[in-house]
Amino acid sequence: MYEKTFESTKQAVPGGAGSSNWTQMIYVTPWDAFFCACLWEWARVFRDGTKAGYATPSGGYTPLPRVGGYTSFYNGNGYVYGAYEIDQLPNPNEVLNPSWAIPYGLAPSSIVGGFIDDLNQRYVRPQNANVLGVYDLKTGALLGSITHNAGEYFKTIAWVQEGQVAGICTDSGKVKIMEYLSGLKVMESGRVEPHRVAAYDNAFDLVATIGVDNKTRIYCREAWPYALSNPVFEPAQVYGLKANTVKVRLTGQEGEPCPGWWVHWELVDMGGGVIGELDKYVSKTDKDGWAWNLYFGPDDNAVGQCRLRTWVVLN
Amino acid sequence: MSLWLMKTVPNCLGYIDYKKCYQHTPPLWGPDGLIYNGSLVTCPRHYMQTTGNLANFFYEPGADRLIAHIILTTTYWPGWDARRYEFDAATGQWTNADQVLSRDPDTFIGIWGAAWTGGATMGSYGKIYACRRSETAIREISWKNAEPVDGGWSVDPYTWNLKSIYGYAIANRADNILAAVGSWTLDCWRNISITPERFAQLRLPNVLGYLAYESRNYCWIITKDGVILKADYQVPRWEMISRVNKPEVSSTGYAIAFDTKRKHVVVLRLRPDAADGSCQHQLEFYYPMVSPAQLTQPVPVTSLKAGKRVILAAHLIGEAGEGITPYTVNAALQEPVEGRLITPFSGTELGGRVCFQYQAPDVACEETLALETTVEETI
Repeated sequence: MYEKTFESTKQAVPGGAGSSNWTQMIYVTPWDAFFCACLWEWARVFRDGTKAGYATPSGGYTPLPRVGGYTSFYNGNGYVYGAYEIDQLPNPNEVLNPSWAIPYGLAPSSIVGGFIDDLNQRYVRPQNANVLGVYDLKTGALLGSITHNAGEYFKTIAWVQEGQVAGICTDSGKVKIMEYLSGLKVMESGRVEPHRVAAYDNAFDLVATIGVDNKTRIYCREAWPYALSNPVFEPAQVYGLKANTVKVRLTGQEGEPCPGWWVHWELVDMGGGVIGELDKYVSKTDKDGWAWNLYFGPDDNAVGQCRLRTWVVLN
Repeated sequence: MSLWLMKTVPNCLGYIDYKKCYQHTPPLWGPDGLIYNGSLVTCPRHYMQTTGNLANFFYEPGADRLIAHIILTTTYWPGWDARRYEFDAATGQWTNADQVLSRDPDTFIGIWGAAWTGGATMGSYGKIYACRRSETAIREISWKNAEPVDGGWSVDPYTWNLKSIYGYAIANRADNILAAVGSWTLDCWRNISITPERFAQLRLPNVLGYLAYESRNYCWIITKDGVILKADYQVPRWEMISRVNKPEVSSTGYAIAFDTKRKHVVVLRLRPDAADGSCQHQLEFYYPMVSPAQLTQPVPVTSLKAGKRVILAAHLIGEAGEGITPYTVNAALQEPVEGRLITPFSGTELGGRVCFQYQAPDVACEETLALETTVEETI
């Protein structure tokens, strides 16, 4: 699970002529806020849950994220239109895929997301619950696939940075950061809580969601610790009269490393007294989630059992 | 950029007072003679008129007046009336009140002018142009009675390719451009006097309330729910989005005009009658300038760990969520303070964002960050 840095008290409630739920949430770079769509309203939602509705949907436009952190709109005729910076209203004069009309079967919807990169001429959309397809925006040819095994269709495929998208699953909350231009692979796996709509905030590298309670939640891309491994000695044989390298690894729910956490170390008496000593009592996990320490074996040839205990204080 | 409310002129016009009311709705032919629309004088209502429909609202540069052409529902014969209301462009004061309330023939514009013309706005050469309800043409009209000017300029978009019918239009004759709204889009046409060509469209955020001309490049749009946009119709692109002040105040419609002399926007907010039947329409004067409406809560956007530096982001925004610059936002930690605020104040960036940095102490703690900004009173 990614670390949740904020949960709003305000509720971003979908407005407009009738009641409906949010169907899309897209981070808009020039706004530094989120474009949110429901059946009756297009609104600007801020990270703290403040909502300003400003428009009414019409004309069968389905919003989808665009390269750079913008909104674009799929129209029923197969073409995707850009949007104006000021108000993210569809720009009927700008067609992003003039040479290939995206067929209905590959269209983005409120259940299956799509992503358009008109700079590099790519269209990204799930092929199934475990595979993401990358299409050539000029010809519609399938250029490659990314097997991510999330087990759920991505409702959101949002821009992260040049060459990377984030696929976000609504029900499981799984997040996959993937390379779609070169490499075609999963770079990072993470998780947020189940929600209704989600977006990737490319200004601060956050995942933002609006839950079924209409509250916004902000997650930074640092894994919240889930498991701490047993201590591992390197090399495995421990000697006396010597500093033995020992390490533990802190990981998140998806097995991803948790860097920058303080790990506390302690030698526990197993009945025969504490044998040997530790170099440090706290050390910080490195970028792979490992925290390192040195264990000095006894210098008096003492033999016996002694336990090494480690723990992390979460909050 | 957004809109700064300079002043509001409430109850900017009035209806003829009947000075009495009936406990039961009077019949068409009763002891007091012929009374149409008897509900208008059923207690507690006691006015002989109410607004049926706003035909036109525009700035008339020659007379330096704001003009509204309104079709009224009345108790007197024949049950309707159509009047020209004139307002001082600087103050919003109703200048022809005496004439209108005494039903002076000069203020009567007739059913042909008012009912068959709509959406009039100033255009090129300081003249008034309007779409017609009785034909597909767009014509130069008289600001006095809204009727087409003899020998005046006109175009008929229904003869163009694509055949089009518009409800609102602005005529830029100097550049041969017409920008017009039929339903959800502002259609931009060029070469209208030679071979008209629709070169671009702008999709509106909602059903149009009114369209107003500013200059050879700009026009203003207000939607039926009070969202105001400025567009460059020659490019075309949206240049600004904002919203009327206090959108929660009840309204039945909006119209917009641009005062080219004072360079400000005037909104006519049509409002339902008060309980006694009196008119509650109001004029709102806006200057295109920043106007903050709210400050969002600071949200931590980096990991919250002891000893770390934490970035918090907030936004200063206007009524439609538009970012507000340039403003300074001050921040202060509330007692008890355990960490350190690195940035005690910060300026808003584009999008209205302000960022603050906080240095967390090496132990767990809870902190409250308060933000404030100073907004000056209206000009």
